[in-house]
Amino acid sequence: MSEKNLFSKIGYEDPIELYISKIEALLEAEYKISKRALSLLLLQEDKDMLELIQKKEKKFLGIKTIVDEAKAHYKQPLSYIISKRRQEEASSLAKRVFSYAKRPKTSFLEKISSITMNPLTGAPILLFILYYGLYKFVGSFGAGVLVNFLENKVFGDYINPFMINFVNMLVPWQILRDLFVGEYGIITLGARYAVAIILPIVATFFFAFAIIEDTGYLPRLAMLIDRLFKKIGLTGRAVIPLVLGFGCDTMATMVTRTLPTKRERIIATLLLALAIPCSAQMGVILALMEGKPLALVLWLGIIIMVFLIVGFLASKIMPGEMPTFYMEIPPLRLPQFSNIIRKTLSRLKWYFFEILPLFIFASLLIWLGQVTGAFNFLVKILEYPISWIGLPKEASVAFLFGFFRRDYGAAGLYDLKKVGLLSGNQLVVSCITLTLFLPCIAQLLMNIKERGIKMGIAMSIFILFFSFSIGFFVNIGLKFFGINL
Amino acid sequence: MKIALVGSPNVGKSVMFNNLTGKYVNVSNYPGTTVEVSRGKARIGGIDFEVVDTPGMYSFLPITEEERIARKIILDENPTIILHIVDAKNLERMIPLTFQLLEARLPAILVLNIMDEAEKLGIKINSKILEKELGIPVIETVSTTGRGIDILKGKIEEYVRKKFI
Repeated sequence: MSEKNLFSKIGYEDPIELYISKIEALLEAEYKISKRALSLLLLQEDKDMLELIQKKEKKFLGIKTIVDEAKAHYKQPLSYIISKRRQEEASSLAKRVFSYAKRPKTSFLEKISSITMNPLTGAPILLFILYYGLYKFVGSFGAGVLVNFLENKVFGDYINPFMINFVNMLVPWQILRDLFVGEYGIITLGARYAVAIILPIVATFFFAFAIIEDTGYLPRLAMLIDRLFKKIGLTGRAVIPLVLGFGCDTMATMVTRTLPTKRERIIATLLLALAIPCSAQMGVILALMEGKPLALVLWLGIIIMVFLIVGFLASKIMPGEMPTFYMEIPPLRLPQFSNIIRKTLSRLKWYFFEILPLFIFASLLIWLGQVTGAFNFLVKILEYPISWIGLPKEASVAFLFGFFRRDYGAAGLYDLKKVGLLSGNQLVVSCITLTLFLPCIAQLLMNIKERGIKMGIAMSIFILFFSFSIGFFVNIGLKFFGINL
Repeated sequence: MKIALVGSPNVGKSVMFNNLTGKYVNVSNYPGTTVEVSRGKARIGGIDFEVVDTPGMYSFLPITEEERIARKIILDENPTIILHIVDAKNLERMIPLTFQLLEARLPAILVLNIMDEAEKLGIKINSKILEKELGIPVIETVSTTGRGIDILKGKIEEYVRKKFI
């Protein structure tokens, strides 16, 4: 490293310098960073560093005493004083090297930027984006037009008949034929769901999301929604994982790592698992409720209510200090088309290869379950809670599927609706229950990976009971008020 | 030889990673896209490097899990060079991390990225003075268009040759 550079000489005020040199004198082991830097970190009570020197230093207690002494000396946290000093130095350096050719005016983009963050103008903009980006583009175009085309034309008219003939010709045993092209066959169900229903929905979502994220809108949304989120123990920072959840909850759960406190991570994970439907699921749900605006409003209202109430209660139950929030607001930018396409494709590839095996595996399990009778047994058991919430027993198949993959379950309901088995009320109840219902297997595994096995399992059990209870009460409520949707 | 990319979220670390390695990682206009650590290979001036893209960090004193991961990479993996990438127009806010890297005596190069946006705002930066005051190389780049990347590669090569030959 370049010899004695300036910065070892960023001077801090006297007591701090004194404490630094006292600690430096006690540090005996070798470190990868300078002793001065290490001493500064220790003075700021860096947990990792304290742990490190506890292992390496004989005079750990002596060092600890100095840190405590320094802490007692100041009213404010040392980290604040030290970073303030650095910022002063940074500002003076910046002044020396910066020059403005012309006074920057507030640009057009900056004006738009402040409009998106003002609650009065920001809320309509958000609604506009949700309506056109999610409802119209993903819901109507992706889940409607594209799914129709792929499902009815491509699979219904070509792939399925061709594969059924092909397999029937090749395989003489009915049981094995069922594995590939039966009612729940790998091709007729697994591949069809993955390619014809999930793929177009997720593709349109990822495309819309890529545009929205590359403009820089999300951090502005975070600022807009920060105050509301504070009430449920989160901050605007949580907007990104939660919005990402509308694409894929599994991916979003991974992104909760960006949240600074454990408490926020737990609350966000729970809300993702419970009340944020992923794009695939939402697409199918929007398609299910097509032409029933009242049902859609009721569904939306209840999900939002659950989101806020559960968040609020979780933040009350879980101890922890009020999180603070500060986020870099990048400038609004015109998205680069090539970046959007690349990003959409890479996410799609990742997503698709993650889910395709799961769908095939699910088909295989169901087939095994059918051959052995275990599947029917489970469906029979599920029929009880299903009937308590007022649904036809055929829906239990969809719920069992939902256990493998939430979107898979929603797609099962879609089939039921097509043959006219669900009334308006039943539609709402089942959509609500299924939205809240257990996360898909991938997300369950992710929850366990990120939050630990105890927390992951406990959350799942809570969600299982909670989703059916809400379905139960909604059904009773609708009956009580004599509402028929 | 190892190059680590560090800096606040949303300053173009991932695009820089793409530029250096030719490998694609997701790039977004929001902070915190890089949760997982991406790794790739780059050949600069006939020397092979492993390039590590770290999650965003504001300060060497970690607050979030990402910052902790980023610091752990710097400390555990002994990178030959640390590229501290900053958003040129927000230099004032970002340079404290450079100070901390230098305070720790880590081998840093300062990369003033997104120069095009700074220029649009009428900002001029005197890199020569900055270089002199900091005592480390300072390079201006626009990672999305590739501007300055060759100069950066040249500096990396020069740095390594000086240090090891």
